[in-house]
Amino acid sequence: MRFTDAVDFALASLRKRRLRTFLTASGVMIGIGALVSMIAFGKGMQKNVTQAFKASDLFTTIMVLPGGAEPPGGDPDRQRPEAKERARPDAVLDDAAVAAVSRIPGVRMAYADVSFPAMVGFEGPGEFRLVQVVPAAVAASSALKIKWGRAYAADDEDGVVVSRAFLRRLGMTDPAAAVGRTIRLTSVSIDLSRLATLNLGSLFSGGASPVAQTTYEFPILGVTEGAAFGGEVNMTESAVMIPPGPASRIKRLPFTSVWDLFRMRDGKIGYSAATVKLASLRDLDAVRTRIREMGFATFALADQFEEITRAFYFMDMVLAAVGMIAIVVAALGIVNTMVMSILERYREIGVMKAVGASDGDIKRIFFFESGAIGFAGGAAGCLLGWAVSLLINRVIDLYLARQGMPSVAYFAFPFWIFLGAVGFAVLVSLASGIYPARRAARVDPVVALRHD
Amino acid sequence: MTPKRIMTSPEKTLLVEAKGLAKTYLVGDVRVAALAGVDLAVAEGRFVAVTGASGSGKSTLLNLLGGLDTPSAGTIEVGGAVISAMGREDLARYRRSVAGMIFQSFNLVHARTALENVELPLIFAGLEKSERRRRAADLLGQVGLAHRARHRPSELSGGEQQRVAVARALANGPRLLLADEPTGNLDSRTSREIVGLLAGLNRERKLTVIMVSHEEGLVREFAHEIVRLRDGRVVGTGDPS
Repeated sequence: MRFTDAVDFALASLRKRRLRTFLTASGVMIGIGALVSMIAFGKGMQKNVTQAFKASDLFTTIMVLPGGAEPPGGDPDRQRPEAKERARPDAVLDDAAVAAVSRIPGVRMAYADVSFPAMVGFEGPGEFRLVQVVPAAVAASSALKIKWGRAYAADDEDGVVVSRAFLRRLGMTDPAAAVGRTIRLTSVSIDLSRLATLNLGSLFSGGASPVAQTTYEFPILGVTEGAAFGGEVNMTESAVMIPPGPASRIKRLPFTSVWDLFRMRDGKIGYSAATVKLASLRDLDAVRTRIREMGFATFALADQFEEITRAFYFMDMVLAAVGMIAIVVAALGIVNTMVMSILERYREIGVMKAVGASDGDIKRIFFFESGAIGFAGGAAGCLLGWAVSLLINRVIDLYLARQGMPSVAYFAFPFWIFLGAVGFAVLVSLASGIYPARRAARVDPVVALRHD
Repeated sequence: MTPKRIMTSPEKTLLVEAKGLAKTYLVGDVRVAALAGVDLAVAEGRFVAVTGASGSGKSTLLNLLGGLDTPSAGTIEVGGAVISAMGREDLARYRRSVAGMIFQSFNLVHARTALENVELPLIFAGLEKSERRRRAADLLGQVGLAHRARHRPSELSGGEQQRVAVARALANGPRLLLADEPTGNLDSRTSREIVGLLAGLNRERKLTVIMVSHEEGLVREFAHEIVRLRDGRVVGTGDPS
């Protein structure tokens, strides 16, 4: 029997039982559709996160921490041993240290991470935020995606940059209209001299509290788009950013967390962290080694990328497993349909054997039948998965648009997803056809020809 | 009791030779002997009728000769090949190219046209489409059904259906034609036509025909020899007259 004839036989038989073929293939279609959208979602997540990281320069960023500090995200057991060894507890991360780091070959820029708490808003009390002090050079670089307005031109220019998401929190939907408006920062400071003379009487009489609130006004110079996916992953995309000049004039608490108090050495506090931007990822190891030699601990996200990738593999597997449930149900549907088909065509199988069909011929016919169901269901499943994913994405986009967030492609469809899905559908249906095909091949022609 | 052995026309080359043929079925716990030691020899080019009451083992004998079934004991040789020792694959090839079969209930595939039914054995023989179309049309012409080629079995009369079955049995040029009660579902006039068709093929092409039938009149008119079966044994052989 020729290959094309076996295919003809299979298709003719499927055409004859249109409704059942359609229903069985629909089972495969739903299974493959679920699998395709699940995998596409996993791939989309991975793509978005990877792109967000790459776009925000995080891979070429090293975080420098003062000696003795724990790197963030810290499971201390998993730290590189040399990081602990080399970090000297007496190394203070001050302006001189940051300047020294910035002179290391391969470093594009280095700046201290300075932030202070403040209430930020237009009218009323506003929202509590950590205001980030960002040098003009950083603000102007590609690290900060300013979409409306501009970055501040100099370190002492009066003005701030805010994120679009933060504007939304304040009830302002049009970011373009926010540029040029005045925003208020209210900071808290403690007057240490008053603290020394503090007594109960002064507290009751009011006015003499050592805690003081000061409000400053700044024009909004620019608005950042902000990372739509995964939140504000980059510290250079914080809610409010201010240049060092005006920041230094603001009276504020000299620390942002209690940890800062423990870090004070001989009265020298230093910065809690500094950010180093590399010219290229290739310089990562060399620069990191130099910084460690200076006695600081380092943290580079590039090191974590492998772990992130592994997490995505795991997520892919979980999503695929969910999709597989539907595939297993579809496979059982194929087995059921094919066994039914044997019972209905019992006599026909007997006739085919009587006129010379071999066991192999019969097997092939039934195999191609289930394979064709798989192919049709798989191809339709790709379309279904793609369409449903687009629909879900559309709905989420509509929701995000109302929140003032940009639209995001949550699903990624690399070419191989479709090829793989159709191939997998055919493979599963061929496997489902093994038992029915063998059973059909074993039909006894004498019994089958007597069969009504 | 030693089973009787029949030798039809010993002067000619033997096409079919069966020795000590037995077939036992297990029905529940009871062993039922459909054939209990049959010897048969059929010379090439003969028209042999097998008769007997129902349950005498006629159809079982034909199924064994046609390679649809395998004997519990004994041997069958057809054209020098021992088909009783063949595996499933070889038996399929034997059914395809050596022995053509027709049945009481025609056994056509209802979903296929007359032409497609005749094509069926040619498909399993691996012939190319245009060639088998041509051959199937030619065969339908030979049985007088060229004008009915596009009709499905349900649109054909019983006689026409049996003619299609004959054309299908001839598709791969067999040496042996086995007919199992071919007139059982036909009226007497059509029955005569069909058996006449088989007799014509036997006469003109020297095609060996073994036909199971209980219609004495037809058998006497067309067969060269008669083999009588009772309870799975041969009880008489000889000239129809």
